[in-house]
Amino acid sequence: MTAAVVAALQSALAAEHSACYGYGVVGAHLAVGSAAVAAAAADWIAHQRARDALTAMISDRGGKPAAAAVAYELPFPVTSAATAAQLAATMEDRVAQAYLALVALREGDLRMLGAQQLRACALRAASWRGSTQAFPGLTPASLRS
Amino acid sequence: MTDETPSRRAVLVAAVRGVPLAAAPLALAACRGVQVLGSPPPPPADIRALSVAIKAEEQMVAMYGAAIVALPAGAAAALLAARTVQAEHAAHLRQLRSRLIEPAPHPSATPRPVTLPPGTTGTTGSVLQALEQAEQAASDKLIAQLRVLPPALAQLFASIAASEATHVPYLRHVPGAAP
Repeated sequence: MTAAVVAALQSALAAEHSACYGYGVVGAHLAVGSAAVAAAAADWIAHQRARDALTAMISDRGGKPAAAAVAYELPFPVTSAATAAQLAATMEDRVAQAYLALVALREGDLRMLGAQQLRACALRAASWRGSTQAFPGLTPASLRS
Repeated sequence: MTDETPSRRAVLVAAVRGVPLAAAPLALAACRGVQVLGSPPPPPADIRALSVAIKAEEQMVAMYGAAIVALPAGAAAALLAARTVQAEHAAHLRQLRSRLIEPAPHPSATPRPVTLPPGTTGTTGSVLQALEQAEQAASDKLIAQLRVLPPALAQLFASIAASEATHVPYLRHVPGAAP
């Protein structure tokens, strides 16, 4: 396993760890029994599964998967259902960026995994945001003017 | 002596003029015109994929234009959604085109008019459903090509594929969309 592959998988794993933590915060600010809390639970599970898959992939290739932090600093205060939804969308954007790094690898299977997960992140982000983006996962600096 | 073999006279002339003998057949071929050369090599896979993706995005932009014309005048939410998504496709097209130096189109070339798929009626639900199906197909097609692309182009394709996938539920939640 090359250093680039390890770095990309570890970055994706770190992003999944933070998303798993963040969805706990999101769920705590949503009304019990609401459609939003059900969506947050489903998304939380999706990220847990992705985290476990990445952990296994790194271990299978002889690497040591990065451990989750005890807590993560939130990008902004989350005090309501609206800011909770905003946090969910922001987290999905960041996880999407991490998976886009997998798409740049030469291994075809990792590319496809990165693309499928990027698409899943973009779908969840759009659902929380209520709008779509032209270039999920890409930074403005990587686009040509 | 076959027609493709340089004549003794041609080889001698080439030698006298300082043209290497190995180049004499080329010099002779040049005199005969390009018809004796083989066909140009096919473009690399990434260039082909990029060209196909550009054409596909052009079709999507045009299809949304046709949808905006076909939607009922009172379907304000659907019209707004169609214009919003069309703008994202135009952004996709700009980025794809920026990765390829294309020859200018022939002056006589006229773009093929794009219409909505057959069977699409003028109802809001029917038009939106046709767009949803086109979006999903476009997204899947881009992802299927990722393995042959250089890294930066693969990332652009994957990002555009993700964007197109998000258009499906976005259109499905527009008031008037088919259930």
